Amino acid sequence: MLSYIIRRLLIIIPMALLVVTVTWVLIRMAPGNFYSSEKKLPAAVEANIKKKYGLDKPVIQQYGIMMWNIVRGDFGDSLKYEGQSVNEIIRRHFPYSATIGVLAYILALILGLAAGIVAALKQNSAFDYGSMSLAMLGLSVPNFVIGPILVLIFSLWLYIFPPARWGGISSIILPVITLGAIYAAYIARLTRAGMLEVMRSDYIRTARAKGLSEWKVLLKHAVRGGLIPVVSFTGPALAALLAGTVVVERVFAIPGLGNIFIQSVLNRDEPLILGIVAFLSILIMIFNLLVDVSYAFLDPRIRYE
Amino acid sequence: MTRISLKQTCLGIASVAVSLFLVSCTSSANNRFWGRTVAPTDNVLRYISGSEPESLDPAFGTGQPEARVYMALYEGLLEYHPKTMEPIPAIAESWEINEDGTEYLFHLRKNAKFSNGDPITAKDFVYTFRRSLSPELASRNANLGYYIKYAEAYNSGSRFVRDTNGQFLLKKDLVKEGGSETVESNHETQGVVTEFHKFIDSPERLTVKADEKERAKQLEADPKLKAAVEGKELVPVRDEDIGVEAVDDYTLRIKLYQPAPYFIQLLPHQLFRVVHQPSIENFGKNWMRVGNIVTSGAFKLSVHRPYDELVVVKDPNYWDAANVKLDAIEFYPLEESTTMMNLYKGGRADAVYNHIVPPAWLDEIRPFKAEYMDHPEAANEYYSLSVKKPPMDNLKVRQALSLAINREALAQFRKTPKPLSNFTPDGIFPKYDEARKKVFGEKLKAENITVEEWSKQRLFDPEKARKLMTEAGFPVQKAGNGWSCPTFPVDKVTLNYNTAESNKAIAEFNQAQWKQNLGITIPIKNMEWKTFLPFRAGVQYQGMARNAWSADYMDPFTFLNLFYSPQNDGATGFWDPKYDALLDSANKELDSQKRLEMLATAEFQVLQEQLVIPLVTQATNWMKKPYVKGLYPNPGTLHAWKFVYIERDPNKWDVNAENIMKDEDPKVEEQINRVKATMIAQR
Repeated sequence: MLSYIIRRLLIIIPMALLVVTVTWVLIRMAPGNFYSSEKKLPAAVEANIKKKYGLDKPVIQQYGIMMWNIVRGDFGDSLKYEGQSVNEIIRRHFPYSATIGVLAYILALILGLAAGIVAALKQNSAFDYGSMSLAMLGLSVPNFVIGPILVLIFSLWLYIFPPARWGGISSIILPVITLGAIYAAYIARLTRAGMLEVMRSDYIRTARAKGLSEWKVLLKHAVRGGLIPVVSFTGPALAALLAGTVVVERVFAIPGLGNIFIQSVLNRDEPLILGIVAFLSILIMIFNLLVDVSYAFLDPRIRYE
Repeated sequence: MTRISLKQTCLGIASVAVSLFLVSCTSSANNRFWGRTVAPTDNVLRYISGSEPESLDPAFGTGQPEARVYMALYEGLLEYHPKTMEPIPAIAESWEINEDGTEYLFHLRKNAKFSNGDPITAKDFVYTFRRSLSPELASRNANLGYYIKYAEAYNSGSRFVRDTNGQFLLKKDLVKEGGSETVESNHETQGVVTEFHKFIDSPERLTVKADEKERAKQLEADPKLKAAVEGKELVPVRDEDIGVEAVDDYTLRIKLYQPAPYFIQLLPHQLFRVVHQPSIENFGKNWMRVGNIVTSGAFKLSVHRPYDELVVVKDPNYWDAANVKLDAIEFYPLEESTTMMNLYKGGRADAVYNHIVPPAWLDEIRPFKAEYMDHPEAANEYYSLSVKKPPMDNLKVRQALSLAINREALAQFRKTPKPLSNFTPDGIFPKYDEARKKVFGEKLKAENITVEEWSKQRLFDPEKARKLMTEAGFPVQKAGNGWSCPTFPVDKVTLNYNTAESNKAIAEFNQAQWKQNLGITIPIKNMEWKTFLPFRAGVQYQGMARNAWSADYMDPFTFLNLFYSPQNDGATGFWDPKYDALLDSANKELDSQKRLEMLATAEFQVLQEQLVIPLVTQATNWMKKPYVKGLYPNPGTLHAWKFVYIERDPNKWDVNAENIMKDEDPKVEEQINRVKATMIAQR
């Protein structure tokens, strides 16, 4: 088990560097650059900019310098935001996205698991149909619709919560609900499906035959197995949530990483793009590893050599 | 067991949603103001300023969102008038310009201070100008300072050429120029004569390029120049060579290489706002952080949380602090216009920046006359035409495509802009509008048509469009209820635009116009912004490319300059030395009315050659709460914040924004007059 984890951890670094390289090539292939705007620059001004940022050096040399710095953990300064280092920008904005993301996922887990388990146990009941219809709705209504509707009701009619911007608990309630809704719906459906499958399996029948109480069967045996689909979903979902979600961050004007990432691409802010890509890919790989490890605890059939 | 079917659930939810929506539509229209309108109890303005500023260094940021923040933090020699954006005194109390318009003498006020209490002197301005123009800083705005003598040479790292006797080679002896010749120093000097002034006022020195390869190319092209430079010493142009001089602590002299009547309009620009040398040198790249930053404006930085908020507070060291009415401004950098509108409606922002109200909302917003700002902007929108590529190389094709667009209908469809048949926006430069009327009238006499009729026809004339298209060799025929033009090469003409909902709507509208009035279906194509820029600038497109321009300074030259020099921004492929010469001589003209007439002549050429298809003059399109006073819909949406205040008496709130520019607010007028008093006294 331990050697498996170490092997997986070791592979993260070369993988991240590979991702960075591919991204770098893609950025270089994209037309336009960080300093282009409506106004064409005189040749002299453009030459000054190129010199200042080392863009006048041969491309291979630029790649070498960049990789050497990245290996040492330094992504350099943002090209768009003068004087701010990429590491600083990620450090500053990640907590916003992570806060909203974690809270949204906790909300989604509570709602989703509860609804899913109950729906599975009371299959074909009114609750089952009702909650699953709601889940279907949650899945199909995009968050750029849910968000504005919530804002309309709670911010512009009732004036309870602020319509946007970061500041205090009241400001994060609407974004957390907006973001959590779709995940809650997904988790509810996954849980229900997983639970239904497990409840019909032989080992549950065995457990019941042993004379265990229905609660014990449910909590000790069924839920553990029924949760596996939710766990595999959690890894990538949580990574994506932590990294920030563009729509919710834009609608609610949250200074999170997701919006910054999109802006960095539109700005052709190369160091910032590379920094965020590297950060996100490491985040995703670590979460996938956590998911794989947790399988071993949930499902006795899974063993890692 | 009761069962609720899926259908019933959906129906229930849908009906709730619809009823909520209906309530939202009816609830607001009954009120006098849009959304929650309660004047704040403190003197704090909450302003939505656009994207996160790229930098707090005024020499660095190029956009309007930055400019708005810089206008709070930094002050220059001059400031924009809050209504007209004409330059008014700021740190310079008064100024004198010599008769040929190449030398400016500024008298600085003696009580101006930085936020840390250091006095602001002429030396600080010299530092600021040199820094803004230094190649190492690589400012993208540097070219705005190129009118200053040797500024371009310094910024591009050029070299003077010195012979063995220690004499510098002069430009007039070696370089023949099309229109512009160097100005001789046959004028009286402004202020005292100094050693530096003798140097800067002497005939312009020759400069050659710094880069060896480029220099070789430059010399290869001109054998006489090559012979003269051969074997001579090359001396780099240094920062102290540029034409900015501190005559004494409170007198600044600026020397231009040629007259530029709009130079004075440029001076409130952020590039020329004064920065604090010791803190920049002390803190290096961290000088802009809270705690380190030293500023020169009416406000100083208090909080900066990128992408969230930037708070500035009134600076007690500011020379005019007694008349700064706001205690603080909270700038909210946001990207999403719906979010901005929500914050505004929810009473959590007092004003938003320009172009924010989405077209779909306008019918709801427009009745709120006290809040909605719809004044013309110093900005136009047009399609650049690839005038060197067939079939667009045919003047008649270009004219036909332009005349086939119903601009009145387009403006109505877009709801905010005004139709434009000229190139320079209408109603922004009143004196220029007059000059244009006179010049166009004279030019049109031969054609027996008045300016009004001519302009009206240019807005939409489908009959003439079809005639011209037919004459161009692409006959337009009647086809059922409409028209067809089978021979027009639609494979060679595309309308390209940068991805944006509004651009798409306009492109589709115009596409329908051409189809309807000429029977031609022109393909339209969108592109991501940064991909579009080089594509358009290099005239790689065939046919048409969406373009727009907002004024750098309040003079029509900022628009006409788009067709000046071979590397112009017009993105059409057009270049005409005669056009350049006309603009050059206009800028040398000392009589301002005559100058405007010469500029109008140049614009007439642009229109006659139909280099572009003008579409609209933009509208400012923003909102402010009625209790915010002194904040005007000026043509650039750039606000001098010290004139802004919060009015708590609802009887004095704005009632109709249409009159806001004409109505005189005694509080603001008094303040403007006091600032301007020094300027008038010394003239």
